[in-house]
Amino acid sequence: MGERWPVNKQNVSNSQIIVGLEIGTSKVCVAVGEVSENQIVNIIGLGQAKSRGVRKGEIIDVALAEEDVRNAIVEAEQVADVEIRSVFLGVTGSHIRGFNNTGVHPVVSADREITTSDIQDVIKNAKAINLPTDHSVVHVIRQHFRVDGQDGVLNPEGMLGAKIEVDVHVVSGRYNRLQNPIRLVNGLHLEVDNISSCALASSLAILSPEQKELGTLVIDLGAGVTEYAVYSAGVIKHTGVMAVGGDHVSNDLAYGLKVPLARAEQLKIDHGSALIDLEAGDREIDLSDDSLIPGRQVNLGHMQKIMSMRLQETFELIARDIGQAGLIEYLRAGVVLCGGGARIPQITRLAREVFNLPVAIGRASTVSGVKNALDEPEFATPVGLIKFGVFQSQANPRRAGFGRAIRRQVAAFFGR
Amino acid sequence: MKNSTKPVPNANPVIRLLGLGEAGVKLVETLAMIGPGGIETYSLDTDNRSLARCHQSQTFLLGQAIPCGLGTGGDSALARAAVESESEQLAGIVRGADLVFIVAGMGGGTGTGAASFLANLAKEAGALVVGVVATPFDCEGIRRCNQASGGVRDLKQVADAVFHFPNQDIVLMEGASVSLQEALDIANRHLCEAVLGVSRMLLDSGMLNVSFGDLQAALRGRHSLGSVIHVDASGDDRAGAAVRKLLAHPSALGGEPLQEASTLLVHLSGEDITMAEIIAVTGAIGSHITKANLVVGASRPGSDGAGLQVTVVIAHTAKLAEPGQEQDKMHPDPTGQASGLGFSDSFSVPDTGSYFDLEKGISGTSRGGFAYTPPAPTEDALTPECREDLIRVAAKEEPNRKKRQKIVQEMLPLEIVSKGRFEKSEPTIHQGEDLDQPTYIRRGAVLN
Repeated sequence: MGERWPVNKQNVSNSQIIVGLEIGTSKVCVAVGEVSENQIVNIIGLGQAKSRGVRKGEIIDVALAEEDVRNAIVEAEQVADVEIRSVFLGVTGSHIRGFNNTGVHPVVSADREITTSDIQDVIKNAKAINLPTDHSVVHVIRQHFRVDGQDGVLNPEGMLGAKIEVDVHVVSGRYNRLQNPIRLVNGLHLEVDNISSCALASSLAILSPEQKELGTLVIDLGAGVTEYAVYSAGVIKHTGVMAVGGDHVSNDLAYGLKVPLARAEQLKIDHGSALIDLEAGDREIDLSDDSLIPGRQVNLGHMQKIMSMRLQETFELIARDIGQAGLIEYLRAGVVLCGGGARIPQITRLAREVFNLPVAIGRASTVSGVKNALDEPEFATPVGLIKFGVFQSQANPRRAGFGRAIRRQVAAFFGR
Repeated sequence: MKNSTKPVPNANPVIRLLGLGEAGVKLVETLAMIGPGGIETYSLDTDNRSLARCHQSQTFLLGQAIPCGLGTGGDSALARAAVESESEQLAGIVRGADLVFIVAGMGGGTGTGAASFLANLAKEAGALVVGVVATPFDCEGIRRCNQASGGVRDLKQVADAVFHFPNQDIVLMEGASVSLQEALDIANRHLCEAVLGVSRMLLDSGMLNVSFGDLQAALRGRHSLGSVIHVDASGDDRAGAAVRKLLAHPSALGGEPLQEASTLLVHLSGEDITMAEIIAVTGAIGSHITKANLVVGASRPGSDGAGLQVTVVIAHTAKLAEPGQEQDKMHPDPTGQASGLGFSDSFSVPDTGSYFDLEKGISGTSRGGFAYTPPAPTEDALTPECREDLIRVAAKEEPNRKKRQKIVQEMLPLEIVSKGRFEKSEPTIHQGEDLDQPTYIRRGAVLN
């Protein structure tokens, strides 16, 4: 990561700068985190730009997206007063899949003691996944070990056993579509340290260890995509991406209320609600100020009905997916919402009705720093990407040529 | 009534009536008793007991060597073997005939297995072969029903026409409360009417004649499922009553089968038929037909009676229906809707309530899949048209398409749902639903 200038005066040599970049459907967001020597993350800067070249979480116009990313990076550099050279990139899109896999390895040593190499072997076996040729792995996240059928072993090293198994959660996506944002970032002369799925990043930002242990569903209600991840017993159990989001709500409103899309977007922000307000039925919203047709009004009840049905459907689809995965009973800490969609009034009540679980709005409680970066649910992903970066650098301690090593790792992921 | 096989010197065509199997033998016995003179009747069965009850017709025991007069027990292959072993004698029976009726109850052993072979023999002897068959009630079991369907199909491939009456229609016509005896009587009456109607048409001295030539032109080489409708009515408005009965008959329900026919032979028989009556009957039938060739005949009945008897022979163009279609045809769906097999039922017209409305509450069901695969036809049984049809069926082309229910353009939704912002993006399809379309539209919510 080398020298940065003008350098922050404090902790010149001991702090490390980690940057999270999310190229979202509605906005490009950059968060700059400073990691102190004792691994405390402090958010020192945020950069944002309106995203114009992304639809459903994926880039559809490279030139526009590049410009937006550049703007956001420049803003973050100015706020944080650092030069950004590399980022951790959030990837999303309907092509991202999450599934669980198991690796098995027999312990062959004479004394049956499980060694580090056994653990490495079993993880290697779990990573041997049969993917379609155009897919590549984004994450392989270790869940639990099983030693001779004994479940829930966190670290089997030193235990005795004949057979060791490991469950992993694998996130994969289409190689080409994962490459698009990476190439875009590289085109701006920035390195990509690593990529992470946005669902994983968001959950890293907002979940406490207790919530992960008890079992929580994190739903990131983005503009283009809705991502969700299920934690239980401290590990990630299930992830999913659905290419339905806030854009769909706006589009439904534009269609149903017969207003332009931009006006529908504004109506959603000004008057939106996830539940139908009984008194809203007769209220009319006057659009005459900016509509070409004088005296144009829309019915608030209709608007809320359209919004409510879309959001309810989204939650129901997630609930069905998690129900099929058999995890709905494990969500003892309830549901946590984040992303821009979490700002819709009454969204927690709607989610509570659908999931029949306690619902809260996520806050990036595990980091410190710029106040609005932590309080706003839509910054969960970039903040989470910083935490992801911290975990990555803990796993690969900082040393000379660290950046290059990480880059090699990325290359290994995609270099097939 | 025992007639010899020597050629009849008069001008009437030689009509022979062969009853096959137990049901066929019974029918032939009845017909021999009540039928007009000039029909030679034969009873053929593999079962001695059934033949022992015959007094009116000439009897012939099939398979003297194989089932030894004990019946086939539902084994149509055994019946086939039996009838083949007697082929020379049987050829003698059909020799010299102009018109051969093969009367059989399908579904059992003898009728199912022997009918097509016998038809082939008669065909070789140069006769016009008409099968008159009954198929079992649905409640008699799927195996028997399938065997019956297969038997009809085999027979149809050989015979010029098959007049077919499903017993299940009786349940539809009379209601499920009808007694078994009554039901069987009705079935027999229908089959008898088919034979009697045709033979009366040919034998009665006509004022307007329907000749054997007309029948031959209508049926020869058709290999089709035809039908004969015979109704009689009396009273002041006997023509009107006859027309109503005619159109309510299961074989002509609502007139659609008439519409699909290629030739219709209409024969009226009665004392003092007025022109008005002829016009009424032919007009009613004519209003249902589009391109069919209509042949009208009228005669004075040999016996007395104030009634008007109307016989309509419906002949279709030569097409082999696919098994599924055939199944459909045989079992009109009482709800009047297309059955689950995906083909519309030619005999049930959705908008005609007159016939079935009388029988509300009958819950007849159409039969399930067609499991019977008929044996490959022998080479000599394949006429060129038949072969063409088989090839077409094998090519999975749906024959008779235009005869099926007309394809109606579905009404398109008034609003064409635009996907707006997502028009050109990759659609988000989740379990067959396009999530890009507004939820409230997919769920049919009304904004008022």
